[in-house]
Amino acid sequence: MKNKRKNFKRYIPLYVMAFPGLLYLFINNYLPLPGLILAFKKFNAKKGIYGSPFVGFKNFKYLFATKDAFVITRNTILYNLVFIIVNTIMAIFVAILLAEMTSRIKKAYQSFILLPYMISMVIVSYLVFGFLSTENGFINNSILKPLGMDPVSWYMEKKYWPFILVFVSAWKGVGYNCVIYLASILGIDRSIYESASIDGASKWQQIFKITIPLLKPTIVMLTLLAIGRIFYSDFGLFYQVPQNQGALFSVTNTIDTYVYRGLLELGDMSMSSAAGLYQSLVGFILVLGSNLIVKKIDPDYALF
Amino acid sequence: MKKKIASLLLSATTAAMIFSGCGSAATQTPAQSDTQTTKQEATEQSNAEQKDDGGSSEAASDKAAQAIADRKAKAEKDGKYEKVVIAFFDWTGRPAGLDRINEALSAYTEETLGLDVELMIIDSAAYGEDMKLMLSSGEQVDLFSTCILGYNPSINNGYVLDLEEDGMFDDYCSGIKEKIRADYLDACRVGGVLYGTPPIKDYAIETAAVCVGQEYLDAIGYDVTALPTGELGYPKATWDDINDIFTQLHAQFPDKYVMAIQDNELTQGSSVDNIAGDYFGTLLDPQNSLKIEDVYASDTFKEWAQRAYDWNQAGFISQDALTDTTGASAKVKSGAYMAMMACSKPGYKTQISGECGRDMVVFDVGESFMSSSSVSSFPWCVNQNTEDPVATIQVLNALYTDSTIETLMCWGQEGKEFKVNSDGTISYADGVDANNSEYYPNVLWLMPNPYVTYVWEGDPLDLGQQIADFNDNCTCKSKALGFTWDNTDYASEYTALKNAYDEFGPKVVYGFVDPETGIAELEQALKAAGLDDYMAGKQAALDAWAAENGIN
Repeated sequence: MKNKRKNFKRYIPLYVMAFPGLLYLFINNYLPLPGLILAFKKFNAKKGIYGSPFVGFKNFKYLFATKDAFVITRNTILYNLVFIIVNTIMAIFVAILLAEMTSRIKKAYQSFILLPYMISMVIVSYLVFGFLSTENGFINNSILKPLGMDPVSWYMEKKYWPFILVFVSAWKGVGYNCVIYLASILGIDRSIYESASIDGASKWQQIFKITIPLLKPTIVMLTLLAIGRIFYSDFGLFYQVPQNQGALFSVTNTIDTYVYRGLLELGDMSMSSAAGLYQSLVGFILVLGSNLIVKKIDPDYALF
Repeated sequence: MKKKIASLLLSATTAAMIFSGCGSAATQTPAQSDTQTTKQEATEQSNAEQKDDGGSSEAASDKAAQAIADRKAKAEKDGKYEKVVIAFFDWTGRPAGLDRINEALSAYTEETLGLDVELMIIDSAAYGEDMKLMLSSGEQVDLFSTCILGYNPSINNGYVLDLEEDGMFDDYCSGIKEKIRADYLDACRVGGVLYGTPPIKDYAIETAAVCVGQEYLDAIGYDVTALPTGELGYPKATWDDINDIFTQLHAQFPDKYVMAIQDNELTQGSSVDNIAGDYFGTLLDPQNSLKIEDVYASDTFKEWAQRAYDWNQAGFISQDALTDTTGASAKVKSGAYMAMMACSKPGYKTQISGECGRDMVVFDVGESFMSSSSVSSFPWCVNQNTEDPVATIQVLNALYTDSTIETLMCWGQEGKEFKVNSDGTISYADGVDANNSEYYPNVLWLMPNPYVTYVWEGDPLDLGQQIADFNDNCTCKSKALGFTWDNTDYASEYTALKNAYDEFGPKVVYGFVDPETGIAELEQALKAAGLDDYMAGKQAALDAWAAENGIN
């Protein structure tokens, strides 16, 4: 008991430091929770959130009632799975390269790789358009034409888009993930590498036998968190980058874009909350589930 | 090790949340404002001097005067006047001179109405989101325009007040009743309840106005005077004439695109009534029949699809047309495009020439038409949460009748923003232009009654009368004028239909696909999305409405 109090006293400065972050978390993520009740009501401003009548699960109907439900769910999950795999591998790859680098230019590389993460998706969509525009695009005019190939109507052909979206997502997201991995790599005790090289381990062996195994907890954690958001899609990526082109819907329509298009004109708050609640509930279950599996395999790596 | 990573992650995610916290709202594009909300810069001078507060019955005006006297007495006691906030939008955000205008307004309304008035002008891109927040969170907004926000959604979400509650409208709005015809007011009733009053403007449209730059026509030596003149004074042309002009333009200017095509072929290029605000189930012959039909299976749509396809094949349309969402007039202004299609009305040539930055010739290819939702597309409404409904509704009445208030709201202050010319029109004050004016909202078509104030230089002094005549003489007035429908019970069908149209519609409309196969694909997708159920729902509501209103 005494020990506990002493510990608490010792941690006071840390609690003080954590306070702004926790306060932010509380205001931003916990205070709005009671509002979820809106998903089961027909919202009416006159009656207010709590006075509006209950309608049961009616607000959820539109998410499942049509044949589109399958397409949007499939797109959302599959794209996110591919993003998780590709972005993780790429981020680790880049992080290891940066960690091995000793020259002073390393900081510049790091900033360049992080830069796309800071760019708004709207701007990204125009960068992509600069490459893919049918009449004035870089690819059609400066690559395909000199090679004597026919121009491609990029925004009307479905088959290219899964690749384009994965590429854009990786280009934009890798920098941020790689910073986290890089920090973990730099946290690894240098003496392990020293003793390994004394024992004659090559760079390759050091990477595969030391760096990656020690990165495993970070990888597992980041992946678990990503799985929690697997039912959300990056709205900007799926709406702005394909320029909202109808011809591409079967490969670009996700839950978020579908809901957005449908509710843009209806402006129905209850139905948007229903979609949000559905997405977060499924995400919550997925996180708990995958955490459970991880725990079964190796309790050390589980989040909680 | 693990703890370290966990804390690293926590701080990383918190940082990410801070970055992304406010991002999602910004990526959403605002709802496109109604396509019929074309800009209009004109007013009626003849009414400018009249200042009448209506007063059809003695009792009503007594009540109004009493309410004003009570407020003044209360202000005397409290030392400050109560305030009524009026919200609408413009294209550039809050004007620099807004505080000055509000002061001038309040100084005047303290005398006449016993209250202060504050205009709240929001950028059009933010208006929809901002208003939804303010209306549902209890911030003070008393009167607002439902443009962008949507009239039906505002009613369905419970934002608006029944104007006739406790006989308020009869008691305090006699001026509005004089200015707006009863059938136009009735057109704003939803389920028999009057929630808003329409801005006085052109409710009818002259469909299919093809606008071509004068300089391009001169270059091909086209003689416009050879064409007959339509009722609005514009050259009347057939689609053959237009195709002939386009072919010559393309030959003369191979580097320019001929047509800045938009997805407006049904809204502005046809007399199909998009009943209840969408095209999933329409009246194909709105003047004579109340039968809901599928427009995408109709000959009207097929004709347009074929026309667009022919234009596309002939090279009149940009290959990037589907992805380029720039407005048509901005495209013509850029000089890369030569023609566009819109709908016209009196004074339209001045307006479109201004928007396109060059003299435009307006070819009148269509006919005049007034759709069922034209009057009720964006009425002015009172917030259900308003503190003093009587004060608010008296301000609403004044907006329709008081030239001083309307002048300040539309044009700003004389000598500061505008000057009165010798012929009675107004123009920019000396040293002021569109770029440095401190108050130039440029949304006249949104204003409750821009015809009780001045008209801008270049427009006829009797523009208000011309517009009224244009509305009255409209040849094709929809039988369903005033019908509105709450489609929330069909929200899942609507969402699916909207997505199906977005997937297969624009290709056809922009002429990128053979009409035969394109329309078949679209039809199939719409049917699968539940078009038949949706149409049946609409038809049932329309039949009920027709029976209630004695229309057959």
